[in-house]
Amino acid sequence: MTQELQGSNSTTDAPRGADAFGQVGNPTHKALPAMQLPSEAPRSRPREVWDRFRRNKLAMLCFVIVAIYLLVGMCSFSPLFDRKINDSLAESYEPPAWRSPDGHIEPQRWLGLDIQGRSVLWRALYGTRIALLITIITSIIAISIGVILGIVAGYFGGWLDDIIIWLYSTVSSIPWLLLVIALAYVIQSNDSPGFFLRHERLQAIFGGVTTVILAMGLTDWVGLCRLIRGEVIKLRDRDFVAAARAMGLGNGPILFRHILPNTTHLIIITFSLGAVGYVQVEVVLAFLGLGITDKPSWGRMIDDAKLELLRGVWWQATVATAMIFVLCLALNMLGDFLRDALDPRLRGVDS
Amino acid sequence: MWAYVVRKFLLTIPILLGIVFLTFVLFKYIAADPAVAYAGKLKSPEEIEAIRHKLELDKPRWINIHEACAQQSFWPVFNSQFFDALRFHYPQSIRYQESVWRLFARKAPVSLAIQFPVFIIELGLQLAIALYVASHRGRPADYLATILAVLGMSIPALSIYMAAQWFFGACLRWFPVAGWDTGFYALHFMALPILVSVIMGLGGGTRFYRTIVLEEINADYVRTARAKGVQRREVLLTHVLRNVMIPVVTNTIVALPLLFTGALLLERLFQIPGFGALLVDAIGDQDQPVVMALVTVTSIIYCLALVATDVCYAIVDPRVSLK
Repeated sequence: MTQELQGSNSTTDAPRGADAFGQVGNPTHKALPAMQLPSEAPRSRPREVWDRFRRNKLAMLCFVIVAIYLLVGMCSFSPLFDRKINDSLAESYEPPAWRSPDGHIEPQRWLGLDIQGRSVLWRALYGTRIALLITIITSIIAISIGVILGIVAGYFGGWLDDIIIWLYSTVSSIPWLLLVIALAYVIQSNDSPGFFLRHERLQAIFGGVTTVILAMGLTDWVGLCRLIRGEVIKLRDRDFVAAARAMGLGNGPILFRHILPNTTHLIIITFSLGAVGYVQVEVVLAFLGLGITDKPSWGRMIDDAKLELLRGVWWQATVATAMIFVLCLALNMLGDFLRDALDPRLRGVDS
Repeated sequence: MWAYVVRKFLLTIPILLGIVFLTFVLFKYIAADPAVAYAGKLKSPEEIEAIRHKLELDKPRWINIHEACAQQSFWPVFNSQFFDALRFHYPQSIRYQESVWRLFARKAPVSLAIQFPVFIIELGLQLAIALYVASHRGRPADYLATILAVLGMSIPALSIYMAAQWFFGACLRWFPVAGWDTGFYALHFMALPILVSVIMGLGGGTRFYRTIVLEEINADYVRTARAKGVQRREVLLTHVLRNVMIPVVTNTIVALPLLFTGALLLERLFQIPGFGALLVDAIGDQDQPVVMALVTVTSIIYCLALVATDVCYAIVDPRVSLK
């Protein structure tokens, strides 16, 4: 199971720090039509990606959408939202309406009211906060585990490598959704879901989200770990690492200054595509009753609607689905564009 | 060749052990005591003790030294919870009062009845669409398929299931909203879940196979065949399709165990008493033996299928090195 992972890919792209020299110094590149010499000063790597990105209108649109979600998510941390999501405007369901009964234009009613007469609009916006929390924290957990294990396994090799390979082979042999569900079940069945959160403020923010975050974060590091391990194995024998070692650098600086920056593209792509999975799995967990219980998340709104829908109450499910759909669509496409823009094998090729 | 197969399976043993170990630790150390949940409000210590005995929670977790010492022999050492898990011996289901394995045997065929037709229809459609789309690369059909695939992958599955249930079941009344029946009458209830699952799975698979077909379609042998005057259609259906079958076959093997386990949300939502619904119910009922057995057994079968895939890949594709 491990052979195909080890540097099977023998692309000859130069490491990122050295490519400007590589291109200028090597005359054969002039013959290749696809490779262009840098016209003036060599562009920096992020700058180049940004330029490539900016030319693509669709990618920019997706970027703007994700940025709007981020903004709304950050705004929804304000206490105003905590109040608004529990305000009852009517006895029970009301379909979307432009005006309130007394004739004012009232945004709170634009997307209808839920079973307790609470504004679906506010609750959907509040869902952004939950989604933001889930995606960011889960990614941080998953990425840090994946990066650390991947780098250690790839760079040091030996028995550490064997143990880490065993660990990720085992974890990846369990279907991911099943593992997330099992972990969420196990954490949830403990009487105190936030058992490691002692602090009151942390409890207030993370309280209901802990199960979801832990279940996904502790299981989703496998793919990244495998990718980074493979990449590090390729990188560790490169000349620039040998040069760094010859200059007397220790393992720490080599790993974090020279090798880690060369794996950033993997991290960014994993993050953007991983976030899609987290938002979607939250819906599944909410359906199973393992998700967020005390706050309105998109998953809970859809789950609530499973009985409402047959009674003709369509707005809550539709709004929550639309929020998820737009975000996931933007993230999916952004992830694809990022992969194209960041993949070293596609560099210099104008697609 | 045989050396490769044997080695492959030997390498899997630590992973299988790892799966059992991991799930065991999860359920025995992190999860709450199922006996307490089972006893509910009427918990005198004696009753809880009786339940613990029934759920075999009174055995030692790892090795049973007490019994071994008492009986003056070595083998009772293995009479512990961990070795029970290793032998796939699980306590009875709390809710059904029935052996976990018998439960599986009853539920799995129901899931299979849904998943097998889905799988066949889906595979056929995915391949057909992928072949068509890849041979019309860059044309409107290609863009349309890609766009639809991305759209489909971005909508939560639950929403699609519910929308279909509402639209076809409640509005148009073409199919029953949910339910299940025995024997031939099940067909009536199977139609809608199958239809929805096929639609759901179409996007991702088509996209995946399109990439594979594209890799093949630009290969030299295709150009040669075309240059010799073979019809475009014939090249696609004989030369390209045959080479594409390698990843298709390997993908199929990985998917096979998942056919038995069914779809969690789908089965629960359409009230199909299958494997997936069993897991959902077991989670709701805190039926820990069933959840644990389900997770472990499914993972182990999945893992074996992965190995079988590797082996098949080596058999089918001579380019794979057997090192």
